[in-house]
Order: sequence, then C-alpha cells, then structure tokens
Amino acid sequence: MAITLPPGLNQQTLPKDAAQNGLTRSRAGGRILRSATAAALAVWFVLPLLPLGLWIFADRWSYPAPLPQDWGLQNVDSALSRGAAIAFAGSLGLGFVVSAVATPLGVLAARSLAFHPSRWSAPVSGLLFAPLALPAFVAVFGLNVLLVRLQVPSYAGVVLVLTVYALPYTTYVMRLAYAAHDIGFEEEACTLGATRGQVFLRVQLPLIAPALARAAFLAFLVGWSDYLVTLLIGGGSLVTVPLLVASAASGTGNDGIVAVLSVMALAPPLGLLLLLGLTGRRRRGSRS
Amino acid sequence: MRQGLDLHGLSKSFKGSPVPALEEFSLSLAPGSCTAVLGPSGSGKSTLLRTVAGLEIPDRGSVLLDGQNLAAVRPERRGMAMVFQRPLLFPHLNVLDNVAFAATIRGVPRRRARTDAETFLDLVQMEGTGKRAVSDLSGGQQQRVAIARGLAARPEVLLLDEPFSALDPELRSAMHELLAQVREKLNPTILMVTHDRDEAAAVADHLALISEGKLLQHSTVQEMYTRPASLQVSRLLGGTNEIPGTVREGVHYSALGAHALPGNHQWPEGPATMVIRQEHVILLDEHSPGLLAVVTRIRTRGPRKLVTMEAAGVNLHAEATASPALATGDAIRIQLPTPALAVVGGTSEHRSAPLTSPDGKVLA
Repeated sequence: MAITLPPGLNQQTLPKDAAQNGLTRSRAGGRILRSATAAALAVWFVLPLLPLGLWIFADRWSYPAPLPQDWGLQNVDSALSRGAAIAFAGSLGLGFVVSAVATPLGVLAARSLAFHPSRWSAPVSGLLFAPLALPAFVAVFGLNVLLVRLQVPSYAGVVLVLTVYALPYTTYVMRLAYAAHDIGFEEEACTLGATRGQVFLRVQLPLIAPALARAAFLAFLVGWSDYLVTLLIGGGSLVTVPLLVASAASGTGNDGIVAVLSVMALAPPLGLLLLLGLTGRRRRGSRS
Repeated sequence: MRQGLDLHGLSKSFKGSPVPALEEFSLSLAPGSCTAVLGPSGSGKSTLLRTVAGLEIPDRGSVLLDGQNLAAVRPERRGMAMVFQRPLLFPHLNVLDNVAFAATIRGVPRRRARTDAETFLDLVQMEGTGKRAVSDLSGGQQQRVAIARGLAARPEVLLLDEPFSALDPELRSAMHELLAQVREKLNPTILMVTHDRDEAAAVADHLALISEGKLLQHSTVQEMYTRPASLQVSRLLGGTNEIPGTVREGVHYSALGAHALPGNHQWPEGPATMVIRQEHVILLDEHSPGLLAVVTRIRTRGPRKLVTMEAAGVNLHAEATASPALATGDAIRIQLPTPALAVVGGTSEHRSAPLTSPDGKVLA
C-alpha cells in the first residue's frame, strides 16, 4: 500500500558531519592546545590521589623516604576497626535518601516554575535558592534547637535539613531541563492516546532522564559529603565518612587511615560520575 | 455509524488577550472530508484545532464526534490524532517505535505493534527506515513519519496544524500528493489549519475561513473563490477587484456598465460590490471587443504578470501569463466573464491592498 512520491525526495538524509562547519571545524593548533589542556587537567586531578594511593598500602613510610618502606593492609584494617564500613553505609544511605527526597521535589518545583508561571514564581524561586546564600552554620544552629523542641528524630532532622540544602541544586538543574523541554512532545503523546501516567513514563521521563540523573547526583553529593549538619543535628547518633575522616585527620600519625577513608569518600561520587558520563555517551551514541 | 465532526458555538478567550481566540465558532465536517481552516496569523486557527483535540478547554460551545459530546472526554480518548507544524518525533525512540507508539500504549504486543507500524511506514514511502534514529532524518522525512504515526493511531479525525509550512515548496507539493493518496486509501476525516491558501486549495475539498476567531465562510473550495460571502472573504482569499454599484434584477450596474450576474444564484437587490478574481479577468488587445482600460502598472511574478489597469475610473487587477506583451500606458480591452462574477452586499469601503506574500500566503 505504498504511496508514490517524486523520485529523490525519499533519499534525503542529513549528512553525518552536519554539525561541522567553518566555525566549528577543529584546527591543528586548537587540537594541540585542547589536548594539552586536557592532559594538564587530568594530571591536576590525578596527582593528589597518588600519595593517597601509596598511603593506603604503606605500613611504614617515614620521612625522607620517597616511597613506603613497608607495604601492607594495616591502614585498611585500622580504618575498618574504627567503623569505616558502618560510616560508609551511613553516608551512602544518607546520600541516597537525600537524593530520593530532593530530586522529585526539585522536579515538581522546576516543572511548576517552568510551566505555571505566576506572580509568586519569583518569590518562590528566591525562597528555594535561599539556602545557597545562607551559611550552613547559621541555619543549622537555629534549626537544631527547633528540631529538638519539636522532637524530630535526629536522622529525619538531618535528612530534612540536607534536603533543603540539596533543593536549590535539583531545582536549578531541572529548571534548565524544563526550559529546554518541549511540552509539544507530551501533547503529541496525549493526542496519540497516552494517559497522563503513560505520558510521564514513556515521554517525559526519558526526555528529562539525563537532567534527572544530574540532579540526583548533586543531591547525593550534598548528603554524601555533609559534615556540619550531620554533626550538629545528628548529634553523634549518625556516623558518616566525613565525620570519621575529620576525626582521624584531627589526630596525629593517622595519615594511612585518613588516606583509606579519603579514598572511601571519593569512590562512590567518582563511580556515579563515571556511570553518568558513560550512560550519557551511550544515549548520545544511540541517537546518532 | 459515522456522522462526522460538529463544532457548535466554540468560544475561547485567553487571559491578557483583548480579543477572544474563538468566538461562537460553528462548523460541520462530513465523515471522510478534508476541510482546511484558512486564516491569517493569530486568527484562532491553532486554538480551534487544539480545542477540537481537547488540549484547550473552550469557555463555551461543544465538540461532537459522531453525535457524542466530547466535553468530558480527555484528549487521549477522543479518537483523534494531531500532527503539528514540527514533527515532534520522540527523540528517545527510533522511527519504527515512534510509529508504533499509539499501539504500544494501547497494550498491543511490541512485535505486532512494530509490524503494524511498518505498514504505515510503507504507506508514507519510508520503508526500511524503521531502525534509524529520528535525528538522522531530514525535515520532510520526519514530517512523513509524523503523519504515519498519526495514521497508525487509526484516528477517526486527523488534525493537521500547519504540518507542511516548514517544508520547501517541492517537498510541500510531494506531501500534498501524499495526503491525497492517504485520503484515497484510509479516508479519515481531516481538519487542517493553514495560512497558505494555495495549500488549502490543493489539499482540501472544503475551506473554512476564519478571522479574529470568527467563521467567515465555510464552503467548497470552488465556491469560496467564486462566491465569497463578504468582501473580507474575497480579500482574505487574495481577491483584489471590487467594483461598487447596484444590483437590479440580476444585473450589476456600475461605472463599468451593466454586467449580468450568473443566473444560478439569487443575488440581493440594492447597493452591492461586484467582485471578480484577477485570474479570471480576460485581457485583449485594443481592437478586440470589451471594456477599454489603460495599464497603470505591471508586476512580474515569475511566469505571471500582475497587471493593474484603470477602466472608467475604476482600478482593476488582472493576472496574465507572458502574452500578450504589455507595457505601462498601453490601452487594452478587458472582458469580465459572467460565470466568474459575484456580488457581495454593500458598497466597497476604502481599502488598502491586502498584504500577501509572493507565494500566496495571507499575511493580514
């Protein structure tokens, strides 16, 4: 039941290098400079990790020896005996809970700000972004008293405050995503017979997924890396990696343990970041 | 039994807009017909389509499909599909899954939905492109996939919101041909909005002219051009000849003399403006029979010439092909064939030339 169209019209496709033009084409000098900058940045980021890596396996490393004199896993054992595993689980849990609460809230806030502008939009935006301007120390001291008086459990209090601190990030990321989001896709899906739920799951969610992942990652970072809120509102009932790192770093002779805990603190965000990058690359690749 | 689409007294206003987007708009579409809603930008065309689709809720009025009032029916349950000006293909799905979208959300197994989608891709001559990413397709191909996706939803009414306006003329002609063939094979009721009267005339069998949210006239394409209901309709369709005068017993009397009007119509008696489309005015040499006119201006439009003349103090316009060779100041004879004449009530008030683009789009 094919329909006949004039010849030639069916063969039109976009050239693969359509994005390359006189302005964007890479030149030799630019390529070298770009590569050199990338290499310098890589060294800048990786270099501080080298001593950490050495310290983890250094059972003995005295000045002025350039490398550890004795190799082993004593530092790992010591870190574990100080509760590193529990702190790791605590941090991971806190990061995921804050992310799980702040991301959907950020989505709702951003969608509302993007698609339902009103005279209240500006004050609401200001309120949502206020935690970025307010020093955490000031806010936490005030809130600590309030939460104790309201008898809010310490874990819930920590999650609540960290969610407020994560909201500006999730809202901002999602606000940018919704600014570029074409509501026409949803309307089209709707006229094709998709219910609201199907529109959300099959159209909106896949389209905003990259931004959603970025927002969730930032919210996770807020929970994962927090020190002050966990210390003051948690009141010691919640042990996380940053608390343990700070505790170990304040003592002397704990360089190896601090190195182990620091790498533990670095691993999940780095892993998630790599996952995010690889997923994004695969998505871009699958579209081309 | 199919009864078609009926719109009754649709009114819609938007906050902050001084004029309503739709005002008491009524229209009836027979099943299987193709109606083009034609009007200038901002006349309410797209609002009309969105209201029919259920994407806008009218302040007043109703939309009836096969006699059923759709007021409480959500867009996804209306049995309509809409193709927008932009193809809006889902970028996270490949071509085939885009076309299979309507079936998969209805719960049809994916394999069957894809097989079905392939049929519709064949229909729009896009076979073999199913696995490609939508971003790999050209604009015309994307719009064809969008039409296939709309048709695959098996809508009773296909709503087209200026779907070809972003395409180049050659591709647009191909899409018109495609639509004609789709109508032949599937016979859906089509409501299409456009601001291009040539496109409307090429695609539709009925025209509905809209201005400032009001329906000015709804008729067949031929009737709209030859029997405009008002001067506004004539002007919006690009008509430029308006000869004020009086009708008595089927004859229009004016500075140009007496012109018998077509006998197959009851013409109103009294003051009336005679209109004749510029392409129907016959230009002859000075020695032929007809009204004497002097050419005052000639504008070339590709293979055509738009000739402005003055005859008995009346400005007239004619569209001529390359012959006869004319120049400004030439004396010529013109004939106004009776079947091409029409009159509308009242006299022609002072008018400025309608703003039209060279490709026939109504700009204002």
